[in-house]
Amino acid sequence: MERRVLSQTHRGMARESLPSRKLALGALIAFGALAAAPLSAQAAAPAACAALQEKYPDWKGKTLVNAINPHTPGYETIDPKDPNKYIGFDIDIGEAIGECLGFKLTYKPVTFAALLTTLAAGQADIVISDIYATKERAKAADFITYSKVFDGVLVAKGNPKGINGINMSMCGAAAAENTGYVEVPLIQALMPECKKAGKPEPTVQLYDNNANCIQAILAGRADTYVNDVNTVDSAVKAYPDKLEKAIAVTIPYSVGIAVPKDKPKFRDAVLAALIEVQKAGTHMELLKKHGLDVNNFKEPDILTAD
Amino acid sequence: MSLFLHYLSMPYLLEGIELTLEVTALGLGGGLILGLILAGMQLSRFWLLAAIARAYTVIFRGTPLILQMVFAYDALPHIGIKLPAVLAAGLALACNEAPFIAEMLRAGVLGVDRGQVTAGQALGMTPSVLMRRVIAPQAIRTMIPAFGNEAVSALKNSSLASVVAVQELTLRSTQLASSTFDFFSIFFASGLLYLVLTFAISIIQLFVEWLLDLDRAKDGKKGRERKLADYLPWRRVDLATQLEPAGVTIPDPVQAELTDTPPLALTREERTRRAVTIARNNIAVETKDLTKSYGTQKVLGGLDLTVRIGEVVALLGPSGSGKSTLLRCINHLESWDGGTVRVGGRRLGFDDDGKLLSPRAIANERATVGVGMVFQQFNLFAHLSAKENIAGPLRWVHGMTRIDADRRAAELLERVGLTHRADALPRHLSGGQQQRVAIARALAPNPSVLLLDEPTSALDPELVNEVLEVIRRLAIDDGLTMIISTHQIRFADEVADRVAFLSGGSIIEEGPAHEVLTNPRNPLTARFLSVMEADKTPEAVR
Repeated sequence: MERRVLSQTHRGMARESLPSRKLALGALIAFGALAAAPLSAQAAAPAACAALQEKYPDWKGKTLVNAINPHTPGYETIDPKDPNKYIGFDIDIGEAIGECLGFKLTYKPVTFAALLTTLAAGQADIVISDIYATKERAKAADFITYSKVFDGVLVAKGNPKGINGINMSMCGAAAAENTGYVEVPLIQALMPECKKAGKPEPTVQLYDNNANCIQAILAGRADTYVNDVNTVDSAVKAYPDKLEKAIAVTIPYSVGIAVPKDKPKFRDAVLAALIEVQKAGTHMELLKKHGLDVNNFKEPDILTAD
Repeated sequence: MSLFLHYLSMPYLLEGIELTLEVTALGLGGGLILGLILAGMQLSRFWLLAAIARAYTVIFRGTPLILQMVFAYDALPHIGIKLPAVLAAGLALACNEAPFIAEMLRAGVLGVDRGQVTAGQALGMTPSVLMRRVIAPQAIRTMIPAFGNEAVSALKNSSLASVVAVQELTLRSTQLASSTFDFFSIFFASGLLYLVLTFAISIIQLFVEWLLDLDRAKDGKKGRERKLADYLPWRRVDLATQLEPAGVTIPDPVQAELTDTPPLALTREERTRRAVTIARNNIAVETKDLTKSYGTQKVLGGLDLTVRIGEVVALLGPSGSGKSTLLRCINHLESWDGGTVRVGGRRLGFDDDGKLLSPRAIANERATVGVGMVFQQFNLFAHLSAKENIAGPLRWVHGMTRIDADRRAAELLERVGLTHRADALPRHLSGGQQQRVAIARALAPNPSVLLLDEPTSALDPELVNEVLEVIRRLAIDDGLTMIISTHQIRFADEVADRVAFLSGGSIIEEGPAHEVLTNPRNPLTARFLSVMEADKTPEAVR
């Protein structure tokens, strides 16, 4: 019974955190301008997009597959009201790019670690799933970066271990992470340092989605979970009595859209379309729509292995 | 609770069941097909096929399913095979299930009594008929529980398809949990959905077991019918003994009839006349210089035997003297190292150039030449009624119509006095009755020679006579050519025209039955006979 009450509280909290729910709740008036904004912004640059479609005609009228790890509220999850649909910032920005280049997107949900392998196997055409663009990952795919990274440190309420970042305060702690996350090597790099300082080493527990990492802290199996600050915030909103954000840390990466290495033309087309989408103001509007920090905004760059 | 019910009835999750079932069905169906091929390869007489199947089993049984899923989904596209996610997952599951199913099939096949297989071969069944009519029906019955197990495990394993983006129940549950944070309500709901599915599989399994239960009386005439309810876990019906054979209590009319008949032993004049007639007959069976060894142990050492049409030859000798091996060589159930065997002038199992034929061709030849065989352990087909044991092979091997085969079976059952037991399963018949059915089965295709391998050795003493009586009539009334290996000295004396005494794989003494048995020349024969007589004494006193 306790769980039921709890869960409903969580639902309530989650509802408040998600603008889409606010819309459903009738706060349409307040958000009307915002919701309409992307459309009018999009309409502002039809000529540029038409020119791009002429320059890159290969994808016009096509339906492409976007591989996602739909476990990151705010960026990509299924829509709790219509679970056959996906919602989030990444979903919307991908569709804005698609609209500009004239293609539609379908979604393929995979584990985080499988995002790039799915792309490399040709089972997907593009990956827009809050994935950090690193040199290491660029060996498997080309990236078009579009967002800065701020990480949050999720801990149990009251921060009993006093963790304040990926630093010596994490010695001896158990960190839950998603398989394949960039935070994993950062925490592993702490191990020799802790040892040198005569402290116990941190341990890393690998899970295959965001929800399982959060559950690990709730169950007392892990002490911390370091991930994108917006993800951490939504977890705290869902379990305000049990979780808190210790601190935000800066991670030297950008979030990127991954495309196959052997399709530079597609990479260039996506880059050009993203520039148009940003120019039209859509990028910024979408950040606001999904309750994300506007400081995440970043002008696009290409990241490749060489 | 209300959240739990909300997710339990959520169409999004229920639709996931469809994909779960699709992947399971592909895995099980594909696994069954692949498993059949694998099992066939492993049981094959070609070693290369068996080795390939072994290697496959080692690889696919020895690696985790999750890797196979990822391989089928992400690696195959690199060699140009890009399957949709459901198919890739189904393929991986099928490849993974196949070795397990193959082992189940193999265990089922190997579990079928070897004696029945030999009996089928002796009746001239080709390997494929044998598989279809004798081995498969029995193997399938024993494999159902294991197959039910496999189906449940495949259903649960299908959840691993979530790693290759198949939107089945587990993937839908985790995505839903990520977007709503209702972790436990969702997983309890999807757990219950899995339970419902596996429960349904259990029900199907029990139903099929009941459907194929041989004791489920089809005509309701005898015994008590086994109900589906008997399979419920809390029922304690002893599946093995509760349905006690009704036959034990039914008085056996033939028994009385047989004991009333005066002894059919021939007089001395009749014997002489028979001997003269037989001496003029053609040769039915002839072995020349037959040799065979198992490793270093010699079983047959240059054995010569000639049997003429209408002649009854009794093979005597201690256990291990080669009697059974000789009989099995005559209809080529066993191969030998040197020498020749001719039945009706033909070298059974070899073509005109003396080359060994395939098992299938040997089977066909057995059926045409007509060598019937009766075994010590009866070897009736356990899943067939007495009548079907006789009629079945007539249809499958000799192409008789059902009506003709049934008529012939009824005729033979009457002859061995078992008309009233026509519908009984072998396990509901006494040993003597089983052996009489086995004799009827061997006689059904009108064989030119009947081989009997210690036909009464496995019988309780009080059941021996009913079987001997049937054999005696065949010899004297029907003039059937028979070679009988036996320990029944008195019976040999009464029925056989000639006895051959085997020791160490050769005939050390042979001659007219009465002469050899009453006046043996070889000391070994004499000693064997005196031991056998000594054994008999207590019975004689009684």
